[in-house]
Amino acid sequence: MSKEIKVPEIDFDRLDEIISRYKGQKWSLIPLLQEVQRELGYVPSQTIKPIADGVGMFPSQVQGVVSFYTGLHTTPRGRNVVKVCRGTACHVRGGKTILKLVRQRLDLEEGETSPDLGYTLETVACIGVCALAPNIVVNNTTYGQVNPKKVTQLFNDRGAGG
Amino acid sequence: MAITITLDGVEVSGNPGMTILDLARESGIYIPTLCHDPHLIPYGACRVCLVENEQNGALLASCVAPIAPGMIINTRSEKVLESRRVIIKLMLASHPDNCMVCDKGNRCQLRQVATELGIGWVDFHRIPHPAEIQDLNPFIERDLSKCILCAKCIRACEELVVEGAIDYLDRGFPSKPATVGDTPLELSECTFCGTCVNLCPTGALQEKVKPHHGSTTKVVSTVCGFCGCGCNIDLEVSGNLVVRARPNEGDTPNGATLCVRGSYGFDYINSPQRLTQPLVKIDGEFQPASWEEALSAVAGKLGEIKSANGPDSLAVFGSSKCTNEEDYLLQKFAREVLGTPNIDNGGSVYNSASRNGLGGSLGFAASTNPIGDIEQSEVILLVGDDPEVSAPQIGYAIKRAVRHKGARLVVINSRDTGLASFAHQYLVPKVGTETSLINGIMKAIVDHGIWRKSFVAEKVSGFDEFSESLSDYSSEQVEQITGVASQELHHVARLFAQANSAVVVYGSGITRQSNGEQTVAALANLSLLTGNVGKTGAGIFAIQEENNGLGAADMGCLPDLLPGYQPVANGAGLTLSEMMEQAEAGKIKGMYIMGENPVAGISDSGKILGSLDFLVVQDLFLTDTARLANVVLPAAGFAEKDGTFTNFERRVQRVRKAVDPPGESLPDWQIILKLAEAMGNPMQYSSPQEIMDEIAARVPLYHGINYDDIVPGGIFWPRTNGYRLGPSRLYEGGFPQGFGRFVVTGSQLSEDKAEPEIIVPKELYQFGSGVRSSMSYRLNAMIVEPSGTEGTDNRY
Repeated sequence: MSKEIKVPEIDFDRLDEIISRYKGQKWSLIPLLQEVQRELGYVPSQTIKPIADGVGMFPSQVQGVVSFYTGLHTTPRGRNVVKVCRGTACHVRGGKTILKLVRQRLDLEEGETSPDLGYTLETVACIGVCALAPNIVVNNTTYGQVNPKKVTQLFNDRGAGG
Repeated sequence: MAITITLDGVEVSGNPGMTILDLARESGIYIPTLCHDPHLIPYGACRVCLVENEQNGALLASCVAPIAPGMIINTRSEKVLESRRVIIKLMLASHPDNCMVCDKGNRCQLRQVATELGIGWVDFHRIPHPAEIQDLNPFIERDLSKCILCAKCIRACEELVVEGAIDYLDRGFPSKPATVGDTPLELSECTFCGTCVNLCPTGALQEKVKPHHGSTTKVVSTVCGFCGCGCNIDLEVSGNLVVRARPNEGDTPNGATLCVRGSYGFDYINSPQRLTQPLVKIDGEFQPASWEEALSAVAGKLGEIKSANGPDSLAVFGSSKCTNEEDYLLQKFAREVLGTPNIDNGGSVYNSASRNGLGGSLGFAASTNPIGDIEQSEVILLVGDDPEVSAPQIGYAIKRAVRHKGARLVVINSRDTGLASFAHQYLVPKVGTETSLINGIMKAIVDHGIWRKSFVAEKVSGFDEFSESLSDYSSEQVEQITGVASQELHHVARLFAQANSAVVVYGSGITRQSNGEQTVAALANLSLLTGNVGKTGAGIFAIQEENNGLGAADMGCLPDLLPGYQPVANGAGLTLSEMMEQAEAGKIKGMYIMGENPVAGISDSGKILGSLDFLVVQDLFLTDTARLANVVLPAAGFAEKDGTFTNFERRVQRVRKAVDPPGESLPDWQIILKLAEAMGNPMQYSSPQEIMDEIAARVPLYHGINYDDIVPGGIFWPRTNGYRLGPSRLYEGGFPQGFGRFVVTGSQLSEDKAEPEIIVPKELYQFGSGVRSSMSYRLNAMIVEPSGTEGTDNRY
């Protein structure tokens, strides 16, 4: 259940240019998908057929590969990707409450992206910084010893419950 | 070099590359499987076929493990049986508990294996698969809660029919076969061929409309009544109801596949619109009549017209959809009982171009190779046809050749076809200019010196004159006429000529044109020039639109040819279009039409036929043509009679009765016999077998064809010595006396005028004029626009 997101226009000329460099090479499907995701932020469903035609596979097969990897996303992602840890140490040190506060602050459920493409919320199994539990990762920065005040500071561009 | 292994204590030998499963089956040892099928590449998904390697205790998936010298395999050790039990129990733990109401019933392979292993109670924790798919199409029902993830549906769609409509979506517990975007099937590339349903081992994929619950009582092997592929179908029958149609996977033209028409289009058999009683028109209204009344009306009136105006005032129009026996009887009835030479059949418009075009140069007026040869070909030239609609088996074969065997496809067509996306090259000449294009290609081949010189020198006559005649077809001139760039033409010429084996496939887009014969002859020339006749993977395919188009011609249902293509002794009769002309002029006064609906295809024919003194029509439904008749005779369909059809591969195959025809309708052959009797000229046959025995005796082409010998896949004509089931490939030993020659197709460029011929694309869910397909509830549900020409509506 995702909110209505304003999907950005897809530049199909740019897409065709990318695909042309992988033409007819079935083995290079994954690097092609990764490059498309780098360019467009995700792998839109409208790109499945051009990609399939480009490498000589069926669209359903390309969809099968995309759906296999959690690293390939089929919906647009926010500019900021927030990952709340739900590992053992974080859980024991109040990770559930932190998650609840983050959800309220961003007004997002796990897996959702905000309509203005500002934030995407995810949970992860363990970041590996258990000594600093509870932890949150935003984009490439890890925040340890998170408490309600830090949550407010981190997401100060979002109102409480907004 | 053979490899020997020990299988369950017995030494057995096999060829390198064989799997343990193949060798076990050959040796009569049973190993259960769920994801394996002989038509699909082995996959190793279900793990039910695990066997124990006694040398190291490892469990091997026998369907993919190759045999190795010295292997010691046990297919029934306790380790093997325990692993099988666990696997099946895990599948059942995710399976719904509704075996009692599942229509797969005893056909369920999961149930069969569970039964063999004695699994009744599943003591594992249940984790059901969700089953939320709602498809609206009338063909296939998906209940993926029963899916065991064997991937047979996916592999069938990708490997056999090369459509690729489904593949696995997501992984882990939510994994399921899905279309792109996980849409309902009707919004995907799915053509509803039914192959996935046929191969699914559980009740996950079944036919949607189930008129019957429970097991069927008998299976009847017969041949589909729609297109010219002649797919062998097993009809599963309960009582007098055909419940489902499955492909007969013997050595047949279709293997494990069918198309939507064959799989699901037969339900017109039970349409409430079927004619069940003879009808006689009294004061402009049809009244039901008894057979006696109707037949005596017909015999009386036809006899009257004959004595008043001579037999030439009568005309008979037979069917490319009826059996060989019926067409043979009909032409005999026309010539001997009515005494008229005016007999034609509905397939002529599609195949008369092949009669002289192919027959005149090669010797026989039919395809030269079996469909399977297409996958042995390096280059495929597809001219003037969309086989995905007109002959799906050819469509699948071409796609398999391109996708899986690396063949190159060249499409020459004046309108877009589905296969253009598989084409290495796609040429679009102006309509009607195909002959010039082919001649141009041949000139390029000769100029480059790349024709098969030794083959031509040894086996083909007329090269010098032929090569002379190509002088006006330089690529620049041809570019002028056809619009095809000369560079493209040279590329095709080189590609085709330099292939080790290449095939030509052509169809009604060519044969319906008035210069069709020229184009077909040019294609025959091309095959001869490049040595592509009489060997594996090389030949010509003349696609027949209808199930017995070739047979009707073989049986002499033609004005100028007797059965077996012997010329008529005294004066040819009229073709259908000539019959219409003469009827309009008042020369033809009475007509007998069997199994055809000319009103749908020929403009103004309604007016003409309606003004005849007498018209009798024999059909399954009250077609637009039948509505104009004075007497309508109700006939039986393909599933309701015995006989044979001849497909375009020249296979003579058995049609078998599965159910009784409705009401008082009768097989066409019985009606013709009754009519002959009513006219005082009885013909004595008590069964279709007797009729075929006479055909085999009288028609050289059909020598040696007898019912006892016909197995699934039929007998190829001509059944000469040395071929137990007839030659699947013609001309392997050379050409018949006087044939194997180049035919000059006219060097006058002005003859190739582009004609304003509009060739109407046909749809997969329609067939011909729609007489049967529009009465199939399931096929008809997919039609958005009515079929056929204006002014006709076959749906009522």
